Amino acid sequence: MMKQLPVFRLHNRFFLTLLLLAVFVWSLFSIKWNADVFHAGGIPTMLQILEGLIHPDLSADVLGKGLSSAWITLAYAVAGMSLAVIYAFIVGILASGTLTSSRLARLSSKVFFRGILGLTRSIHELIWAWLFVAAVGLSPYAAILALAIPYGGILGRIFADMLNDVPDPPIKALKSAGATRIQTLIYGYLPLIWADMISYTMYRFECSIRSSAIMSFVGLGGLGYQIQLSLADLRYNQVWTYIFFLIGLVLFVDIWSNFVRKGLTERRRRRGFSTGWRSTLFTILLIIGSWVYITLGENAHLFELLSDKNIEYAKKFFGGLIGLHEKQPAFLDAGSWAAALKLTLETLEMSIMAIGFATIAAFVTVIPAARNIANGSLTLSKKWYNWPLYGFVRILYIFSRSVPELVWAMMIIFIFKPGLLPGAIALALHNFGILGKLWAEVIEDMDHRPIRNLASAGASKIQILFYGILPTVLPRFLTYILYRWEVIMRTTIVVGFVGAGGLGMDFKLAMSFFQYTQITLLLLCYMILVIIADFASESTRKAVK
Amino acid sequence: MSSKTMLEAKNITKHYERKIALSSLSFSIKQGELVALIGPSGAGKTSLLNSIAGLIPLQSGELLIDEKPLSSYKKGKLFAKKVGVIRQQFDLIGPLAVIHNVLAGKLADWGVIKALFSLLLPRDKEIAIKALERVGLTDKTFEITSSLSGGEQQRVAMARLMVQKPEMILADEPVASLDPARADDVLAMLIKIVLEEKQTLIASLHSVEYARKYFTRIISLKNGEIFFDLPTEKVTDDLLAELYQLEGASSR
Repeated sequence: MMKQLPVFRLHNRFFLTLLLLAVFVWSLFSIKWNADVFHAGGIPTMLQILEGLIHPDLSADVLGKGLSSAWITLAYAVAGMSLAVIYAFIVGILASGTLTSSRLARLSSKVFFRGILGLTRSIHELIWAWLFVAAVGLSPYAAILALAIPYGGILGRIFADMLNDVPDPPIKALKSAGATRIQTLIYGYLPLIWADMISYTMYRFECSIRSSAIMSFVGLGGLGYQIQLSLADLRYNQVWTYIFFLIGLVLFVDIWSNFVRKGLTERRRRRGFSTGWRSTLFTILLIIGSWVYITLGENAHLFELLSDKNIEYAKKFFGGLIGLHEKQPAFLDAGSWAAALKLTLETLEMSIMAIGFATIAAFVTVIPAARNIANGSLTLSKKWYNWPLYGFVRILYIFSRSVPELVWAMMIIFIFKPGLLPGAIALALHNFGILGKLWAEVIEDMDHRPIRNLASAGASKIQILFYGILPTVLPRFLTYILYRWEVIMRTTIVVGFVGAGGLGMDFKLAMSFFQYTQITLLLLCYMILVIIADFASESTRKAVK
Repeated sequence: MSSKTMLEAKNITKHYERKIALSSLSFSIKQGELVALIGPSGAGKTSLLNSIAGLIPLQSGELLIDEKPLSSYKKGKLFAKKVGVIRQQFDLIGPLAVIHNVLAGKLADWGVIKALFSLLLPRDKEIAIKALERVGLTDKTFEITSSLSGGEQQRVAMARLMVQKPEMILADEPVASLDPARADDVLAMLIKIVLEEKQTLIASLHSVEYARKYFTRIISLKNGEIFFDLPTEKVTDDLLAELYQLEGASSR
């Protein structure tokens, strides 16, 4: 390898920052910045929406509806995740290659099953939902399967990674003691990764609540459905009530997963019911409750999915996707490709704008949001306003991340004219809270000794920020930016559904006009984007190292 | 040697919940003295150094630094000219280049703008280079600090102290994580710099051997109290044996 010039080596982070900044500025040029981005009544509508936030509708009727929709959302999420875990567990183990004996078998099993996991997770859950609804009609199973498949893909990949990262010595010891492959799995691998698997599943469960809420946008029930109805009636005060229910649900899962994690780390056995057992029991009850509700309460039967009528529909649908009965499929047409690629570029710009906005907002707020800065232990200075500021920013983060991108987009679209900007803002609003939370945790986990030493060398607060905190946390920050950017890329298609521009908008049109081959073309473009995102973030990450 | 009193401790006491870390210590240290703090683990060496550095509050008693009470030094700039700290190797910002870590010793003198600008184009570069020259690391000036070995990082920390130029240096186990050859090297260098700059040094050490080899005075702590405080030549092997004796065995 060529030896880098010292100037470049010293400043490569700086150059990289400049480069990323330039890309962000470039994405801004995709919008004509004038008063035209707003609707004629955009600003008054925004004020009305804000007013609804201060005076949410708390009538018994709305609260009752909110409660029952929240239960539906929770039940779909629980049922979907329970299937996802089973799928992830089986395919994840196969994809890790721990059960195979020969080198060739291991490689082929890894490639094949990792491929399956990759394919299932690269398509957004809402698109799965749309595909299922189109194929089997409006059944709760459409929502459950739509959640189970992509989430199973995500979980399965992480499970496989965890299995591959298991330290070698204990496994070797088991093997030399004569254990079979299944036995090493049960006595070696699984106990070692058990706790990590459960905490990652809980983290993903929180995401699945939000995904479950937006299932209503393809016609399935739940909180999202109510939000959609109230928005259509311009009842903003009701919208906020349902959003508060959603936030409550997310917080509930947050607290529950904290309990589960605590149960996992509790080393000392206590008499009676420990936290771990209680949360296990609660989980089992919740899973049973959800499935009972779906099969009895909603009267949905798995076998109905396989009725002759449904199979006929599904045949027609998937046949249409590969262009069976069409003379000129869109994905073989140069004109359609050119139009779709232009939309692909727009979608790329939208995603960059979105992560740029989110990064700026999170950057401005993250310092007071870290616990060790709020209590003064990191910088050795304590001010009265630290704690109130900490609380305020943290509430802002929870609020921002609890509301799914799609719901943000539906509100934003009342203020801005359809186009890339509202989509980018909606994506940014949701990701700002996630980014802020992840970053604050990075700061909380950092080694405080070098920072304190700077403080005792007489550095001021701002100097400490630039000489101590930022250089230490920036690589981790960047990793999270790129990770969220990949997620945003997957989600751009979804905000497009409500008129926020890009591939998603065209996707919705193609769906409504039953242009199946156009759908295939758009899904192809979308996969190109996902590959670009993977490649770009992988090489940026390498450049920082 | 000048007779200015650099540090004076008057009945300082520190306890964590119920555990006593420092129980009513009094001593004074003159400018230019090289003081080694020794004693068994948990005797209160680190607590003592941290309280002199103003990192942890005392329950009672008073610390005078250069004849002024510790509390009269408003945080930061002025205090940084009086007292500098060096620890094992946790004082450096790993992802920054060596030169920035050295120049961090200048932050007390610099304004914010100058500090930010220096991250792009190092300011006062000659000072940093000179300091790195004295610790023999000029070839590493633009390396990322975390890529250096433990001994090299410790020398970077010394270069920073040279740039900061405090009147008194507190060293908390400065060589604890280094192998004997490196430890000797680093310690010799530290002592040489302190003598050249006419600074005062207080260092906590695990090794009695180093304390006797390099320091003029040894203060030993045991259970938060001063066990002995003697010029190095008056420290006998019997005293040391008693200092490190286990609790149970000492009550013959």
